Amino acid sequence: MTLKRIAFMQQLLTFMGLEGRLHLEWISSAEAQKFVRVVTDFTETIRRLGPSPLQPARHRQAANVMVSPPGIARSATPDETAAVAKSA
Amino acid sequence: MQKQVRAWLEDGKVDVFLAYKMDCGHPLPYAFTRERIEETEDLVTGPARYSLEKFATQIAARHPEKKIGLLARDCTQRALNVLAVWNQLPAEQVEPLPVNCCPSALKPHADCTYLEAPATGEVKIQCGQDPRQSIEAVDAQEGSERFARWMYEFHKCIKCYGCRNICPVCFCKDCSLEHPDLIGTGNLPPDIPIFHLVRAVHMAGRCIDCGLCEDACPAEIPLRLLYGKVNTIVKDLFDYDTGASDALSPFSILGDKPTLAPAPLMAVSQE
Repeated sequence: MTLKRIAFMQQLLTFMGLEGRLHLEWISSAEAQKFVRVVTDFTETIRRLGPSPLQPARHRQAANVMVSPPGIARSATPDETAAVAKSA
Repeated sequence: MQKQVRAWLEDGKVDVFLAYKMDCGHPLPYAFTRERIEETEDLVTGPARYSLEKFATQIAARHPEKKIGLLARDCTQRALNVLAVWNQLPAEQVEPLPVNCCPSALKPHADCTYLEAPATGEVKIQCGQDPRQSIEAVDAQEGSERFARWMYEFHKCIKCYGCRNICPVCFCKDCSLEHPDLIGTGNLPPDIPIFHLVRAVHMAGRCIDCGLCEDACPAEIPLRLLYGKVNTIVKDLFDYDTGASDALSPFSILGDKPTLAPAPLMAVSQE
């Protein structure tokens, strides 16, 4: 089931434009060296791809949570003005 | 059509018939019953379209003994297949009455409000995903461009849940989209692209490509294109024809044995 889901999800993410950021590997607890190799390789892969394009949005949301209680509109970036106007 | 429905109700072939009733000039979804059989005179068929099979599912859940008839387009038939596969609506409890629908080589005329998306505007062509383009055309886009275009579309989402509410094959009692731990609340647009991807994942092995979600979407997000891709992936990876197959979906976790040959997947895992 996991293999099915991940194989499916990899293709869906590719269609979204987030290619190569999802990796699945079976590693036994006795395979320490394999674990190290897989994690190192994938870290390098991700480093080559650069920061996630979703990252800025996530930082902004995290910041919003910290400065204002839930449900209260906060000062917003221009593209969020519409959302603030609606919730106000 | 009206005579047929009347006859079915009188014979007891069905206890309730789901169709459209002309009300103040509007065709509205309506349940015709034996007790008020004279209403069948107002029954209409035509381009109007609603997920009648969704009503059927809800009626069947409460009244398992009732026999339900309904007007069935091609997409309705596919939805009924999927609902039977997912144990939501037993096939023997429904009696579909086929109506003219999607065009084909044999009948070029079609009675459907939504065969394809309306004309696409300039801005959408420049920044978004044109709903009229093929899946291959989206695949051919550069990765970052594809991402930016999809995010432009998702940014317009007002989280009205219209796509989920109209969807004939969305039947869960508890919806992941309303779970505050999975999808953050209080902001617009909602958490993107998670909101849309969660729905897309749930459409795997379920979406019957009726186009009702895209038709309902007030933000005109090309959902049919997205779910169309989902179905293509399911077909490529698992060789599963959603809507046509009577086998369990590849993502079904019920049952005690694998329902599909692992062959297509082995190729993926060895890459």
